[in-house]
Amino acid sequence: MKKLLIILTLALTLSANEASQIIKKLDNNMRGKDVYMKISMSIKSLRHERTMKMQTWAKGSKKSFIKVLYPPKDKGITFLSLNNEMWNYIPKIERTIKIPPSMMLQNWMGSDISNDDMVKQSSLVDDYNPKIIKKDAKLVTIELDAKDDAAVVWGKIVSVINTTHYTNVKDTFYDEDGNAVRVFTYAKVKKFGKYYLPTIWTIKPLNKKNNLTTMTIEDVVYDKGISDKYFRKSALKRFSR
Amino acid sequence: MFKLAIKNIFYYKGRSITTFLLTFFSATLFIIFVSFMHGSHKTMLHNALKVYTGTIQIYQKDYRDEGGYDYLIFDNQKVFNSLEKIKGIKSYTSRVETFGIASSKNNSSAIMLTGVDFKKEAKISELKNALKTGKYNTKSNCLYMGEDLAKKLNISLDHELSFVGSAIDYSFAADIFKLCGTFKTGMYEFDNSSAFLNREYFDGLFYSQNASSYIVINVNDLDKNNYIASQISKSIGKDLKVYTWQDLMKSMVELVKVDSIFGYISMALFFMVIFFVILIYGFINISSRVKEFGVLKSIGLRDIDIDKILIYEILILTLSAIVIAICLGGSIAYYFEINPIVIEGISDMYKDYGIISDTVPTDFDIFTIFWNVSLIFSLNILSLIYPIYYVRTFTPVEAMRHV
Repeated sequence: MKKLLIILTLALTLSANEASQIIKKLDNNMRGKDVYMKISMSIKSLRHERTMKMQTWAKGSKKSFIKVLYPPKDKGITFLSLNNEMWNYIPKIERTIKIPPSMMLQNWMGSDISNDDMVKQSSLVDDYNPKIIKKDAKLVTIELDAKDDAAVVWGKIVSVINTTHYTNVKDTFYDEDGNAVRVFTYAKVKKFGKYYLPTIWTIKPLNKKNNLTTMTIEDVVYDKGISDKYFRKSALKRFSR
Repeated sequence: MFKLAIKNIFYYKGRSITTFLLTFFSATLFIIFVSFMHGSHKTMLHNALKVYTGTIQIYQKDYRDEGGYDYLIFDNQKVFNSLEKIKGIKSYTSRVETFGIASSKNNSSAIMLTGVDFKKEAKISELKNALKTGKYNTKSNCLYMGEDLAKKLNISLDHELSFVGSAIDYSFAADIFKLCGTFKTGMYEFDNSSAFLNREYFDGLFYSQNASSYIVINVNDLDKNNYIASQISKSIGKDLKVYTWQDLMKSMVELVKVDSIFGYISMALFFMVIFFVILIYGFINISSRVKEFGVLKSIGLRDIDIDKILIYEILILTLSAIVIAICLGGSIAYYFEINPIVIEGISDMYKDYGIISDTVPTDFDIFTIFWNVSLIFSLNILSLIYPIYYVRTFTPVEAMRHV
């Protein structure tokens, strides 16, 4: 009986370690040391359809900067996330606004992704406990449970990962009550330097049958050595132009 | 039998006076208590409807479940044309609600910004009367804001604040507004999170021309509200849904129901006491009259005749007490409906429940008074059942020998 318990504990520990390793490799593919992206976003809802284009600069999970390029009406709107705080600069009114933490779960500019998704404040590595729940050849399904002390919006994420290049296949997000809220599916994995990244992300909220957001990553540059100038409050106005 | 009953009532003065007075006081008290309870509930609901909700609201079918701009009403005028043809509608207007971040120099807060036609709004809600500082009918980029929200943002009249949200095509909508007026309705959540902008400017900023989150309606006669709601429902498209105030304010309706239940429970306990006092007094009186009933039986009266005497006695006492109680209790209920009692500060204490006035009126309603006294009447009749049964257990000889 003792042996069985030891084997069981050992197996669980190894499984947790393996899950952590997979998530770390996945996170590394997503973030690199730093990453610049040009993204096109198509947002469909019951009555509306619109396209947005933007540039993003990010360093780790604590620093990110976004600039909206299209549509012309919204051009120059910038967002800065720094150490779990978020600001927004709107050129039309020439004002910088701090986004309250309570609004991090709100939809970002009418899309089906939240402010938190855009700035990737919450980290899969730091904020969640991973556990492998299924292995199917190269596809590994990992359940990520939010740590008790983590300031995150999701109670649980179930992530299907292709371990060939450690890229996402599908993420299902659950609220604190365990209800599935939305599904991210990923396609067209491309290699950028030494990193692999899916370039088409589809976001489907499960409570809004007519909504669909598709993000196409048009350009990615990893480890370029992004200047810290992007991650200061002054950058909001400076890089808005 | 009836004459004999009258004679007995005057002969057994103690029992008669006790029964009469207990019946009279309990019936009067019940009428007054229920009229005050109904009056305060009615006032609470009326106040809440008057402040902002209106008596009927029209939404796009899934707006209240799904929310968001996809479920707005996109042709206000079509609905307005239908409403014009329906009798009994006092006033109506449309509102567009949006949510976003308002920021002053130092503070930010999530707020609900509503585009309204200030002139029409004045006819349908209490927003105008809730004005605390500045102006109500504001123009251009002027905001009319809840006093508590202005305090939270730490701004006063003529100060600027920025607002960031989404236009109804989901593009970014942002502007700098000036605070031109503040209001206080007494509903804390509302005053702490709401701001209003004139419809023309709102439509320009949020692209909401001829659209609305909902249309709010007030009727002339609240009693006909459900009928008018059904008429509206028939005349507008199937993709729109009509909600009455009972649907919109379910929690308050539930609160009123619970409060009424507790009110009736406390009155029921009181009536239990009254019932047993009348029962005991009646029983003691009838026990002392067993010999008399024995004599009556021995000279030929049947049990049913004895029963009739006792029933006549209680009927005469109860009905006379109830008639006077109706006159007195009804008059008091009527008087305080017209001249409500004023309790200073009650609106502050109960502002979260929609109380915006310090007056506590009664609700004078003939039907309510009728069922109030019917209940007292039934209890008095019930109190006679055991004494009648008791008297019937005696044979004439036993009764005559009874001490």
